[in-house]
Amino acid sequence: MTALLETRGVWQRFGGLVANSDVSISVGRGEIVGLIGPNGAGKSTLFNLIAGVLPPTQGSIIFDGEDVTNLPAAARCQRGVGRTFQVVKSFETMTVIDNVIVGALVRNTVMREARRKAHEVLEFTGLAARADVLASDLVPAEKRRLEVARALATEPKLLLLDEVLTGLTPTEAQTGVALVRKVRDAGITVLMVEHVMEIVMPLVDRAIVLDLGKVLVEGKPADVVRDPKVIKAYLGDRHAVGA
Amino acid sequence: MGLLYGLIAVGLALIFGLMDVTNFAHGEFLMIAMYLSFFLFAFFAIDPLLSAPLVAAALFVFGAVIYLLLVRFAMRAKANAGMVQIFTTFGLAIVMRGLAQYFFTPDYRSIPQSWLGGKTISIAGIFLPEPQLVGALVSILAFVGLYFFIHRTDFGRAIEATREDPGAVALVGIDKNRVFAFGWGLGAALVGLAGAIMAVFFYIYPDVGASFALIAYVTVALGGFGSVFGAFAGGIIVGLVEAVTALVLPPSLKSVGIYAVYLLVVFIRPRGLFGSI
Amino acid sequence: MDKDFAARRRRDLIIAAVLAAIAALTPLFVKDVVVQNIMILTLMYAGLSQSWNILSGYCGQISLGHALYFGLGAYTTELLFTKFGVLPWFGMLAGGAVSALIAMGLGYPFFRLRGHYFVIATIVIAEIGLLLFHNWEWAGAAMGITIPIRGDSWLKFQFLRTKLPYFYFALALCCLAWFVTWWLENSKWGFWWRAVKDNPEAAESLGVDVFNSKMGAAAVSAFLVAVGGSFYAQFVSYIDPESVMGFQFSLLMALPAVLGGIGTLWGPVLGAAILIPLTELTRFKFGGSGRGVDLIVYGTLIVLISLALPRGLLSLFSRPKKTGAAR
Repeated sequence: MTALLETRGVWQRFGGLVANSDVSISVGRGEIVGLIGPNGAGKSTLFNLIAGVLPPTQGSIIFDGEDVTNLPAAARCQRGVGRTFQVVKSFETMTVIDNVIVGALVRNTVMREARRKAHEVLEFTGLAARADVLASDLVPAEKRRLEVARALATEPKLLLLDEVLTGLTPTEAQTGVALVRKVRDAGITVLMVEHVMEIVMPLVDRAIVLDLGKVLVEGKPADVVRDPKVIKAYLGDRHAVGA
Repeated sequence: MGLLYGLIAVGLALIFGLMDVTNFAHGEFLMIAMYLSFFLFAFFAIDPLLSAPLVAAALFVFGAVIYLLLVRFAMRAKANAGMVQIFTTFGLAIVMRGLAQYFFTPDYRSIPQSWLGGKTISIAGIFLPEPQLVGALVSILAFVGLYFFIHRTDFGRAIEATREDPGAVALVGIDKNRVFAFGWGLGAALVGLAGAIMAVFFYIYPDVGASFALIAYVTVALGGFGSVFGAFAGGIIVGLVEAVTALVLPPSLKSVGIYAVYLLVVFIRPRGLFGSI
Repeated sequence: MDKDFAARRRRDLIIAAVLAAIAALTPLFVKDVVVQNIMILTLMYAGLSQSWNILSGYCGQISLGHALYFGLGAYTTELLFTKFGVLPWFGMLAGGAVSALIAMGLGYPFFRLRGHYFVIATIVIAEIGLLLFHNWEWAGAAMGITIPIRGDSWLKFQFLRTKLPYFYFALALCCLAWFVTWWLENSKWGFWWRAVKDNPEAAESLGVDVFNSKMGAAAVSAFLVAVGGSFYAQFVSYIDPESVMGFQFSLLMALPAVLGGIGTLWGPVLGAAILIPLTELTRFKFGGSGRGVDLIVYGTLIVLISLALPRGLLSLFSRPKKTGAAR
């Protein structure tokens, strides 16, 4: 079986700064893959390259057997890439259901069907009771969930989650973890970026650790956490931050 | 003329840069300043050149009061913050125009005789009108003064700091409202200075602000919103463009050149020439 | 929940039909020409503001240069009529088409601009249009165009003895703009527009074609405003650059929507119903040009509403569902 997503030798430079250098990763169908690494490792950059916010300086991105390197975000969404944002970007003046309808319109041109789909997704994500509330009135954890719901409404093959579990209370994080599992069980591949390893390690099938813009280690979560290189990168990072 | 545009625009840029608010009543501030200068001349026979500091001081108070009474609340709006700011200052502009029409009548007025009015000076064979020349001089002085004020005094630095990070500033014990009120005052004072000088060689009427306001916005945008230096440079460019257009096109089209340059600049550099934000 | 929604949509439609019917009957009781005049203007501005609201309210691209499209509609119609004898009915459509095309053409560079840069660009482009028409000899330059009076005729959309046909046309225009908004509100476009307004980046990630959303909104908005401009030209039967392309029109299109509730279905109608009669009455009462009282009343109203009710007057009627945190 071919991978759903592949990056081949991806580079991204911002002026003199190299955010990603020669990153080649692949995500198989039905996997939950964690993309982790210390601050400034280039996780968010890689994430944005995959989502199509900007094209890579060099290299190519293959999604579902198609080269999508130069496609903009909207076109990738149509091909089945859904994403959330690290800093939530809800449509604040719209109700929860309307937020989700925007996503549902990608695959449903008839309004009634889009609306039905949106209700379905709200049910799935546990937001149904809040359907008619303005997005701006949601609490932060709900806003995170709304981001996921909106992306799910586009019926993605690959869901990109950008630190959806960070900053939640332990209970909220637990519900979040359950939701991610549920998403995978629905047949959607998940690639999640997280900074804090403890939360994601029990959840993911495979972890990819980025450091200084390069892939440092890749493998089973249990092996990755014990890898001396990873420990060093994280500890080094802490020292650097402390200094 | 460009330098005067610059002076008008600097006030606007200052307010914008400080707190992301476009003052759509800026032109009306100018109008008030011109009337003030006119009445000081008409009733007390104070020459506009002398009354300029007075006018600037009065406008300073006016600007600060407007901030404290209106703008402060507009900035607190929870919904449609951008719209609220635009329309609050817009409404203010309309009220000011209405009041001017009511009290001063829509008649055109001018200051018939002043120290500078109508005189020209000859430098190397080129005749230059004195008022404009003095205006340019005052503008440069004001700009230099402003530069030193912002970069060399504590309060100036407080303004810069507030502009960069209002939250952090609150932590060091600077009162945000005081700084903003002062910023509004300063912005208004600068436009007051410009108004006082322009009263010498422009007709004064309730709508006079409108024609300059648009040019001021263009100037500010040209320089890059919020950049004080940019606004001044923008003013010079606008003045030059206006002069060049006047040579090529009929006088009624002279503003077209300015507008076209604005559009051209923002299409190429969507943040203006010196925009940093 | 779906039922609630459908019911709400139907209720809006019924209210609109009832209001339109009541409005259609008023001329039976109101014979005073001055009052009729105010009603015509109110309906016209309600329609215009509703159209403006599509681009600026729903799609969030605040334009303060819609006078350009208003003027283009007026000029296209009258130039075609006076120079080529094209009937105003066709001129109206032509004006709408010209405006929509120009709006889209301008959209290419304009929609890359954000915030204040965009607003100022719209003011500037309308100002350029105004200056160009001022200097365009063939189009009458500053003298403008006087529409030749040939007597009452539906064909030429010209009425001297009675204002009623104008009244009904203004009503139809207002209804059209309202209906278009109502219809688009629950369509892919309506959702796209609101998404673009709230957060273009997120919209993009959900497959929304941000640029074309704006283009669509600009085209619809400009078309309807231009039809309004054509109507106005026939109504006043004399046009010059200031009187159809002046900045005040841009303002008068924006204000009712802002007052009533920007980006809402009923805001523009409500805003116009309050603002226009108020403006006309103060002007009438305090008389003469330029005592300025109308401006004072008007400006104060804007300031107060902006500060006290940032979501517009309409927010007084709707009960926001603020239940706070659910869990």
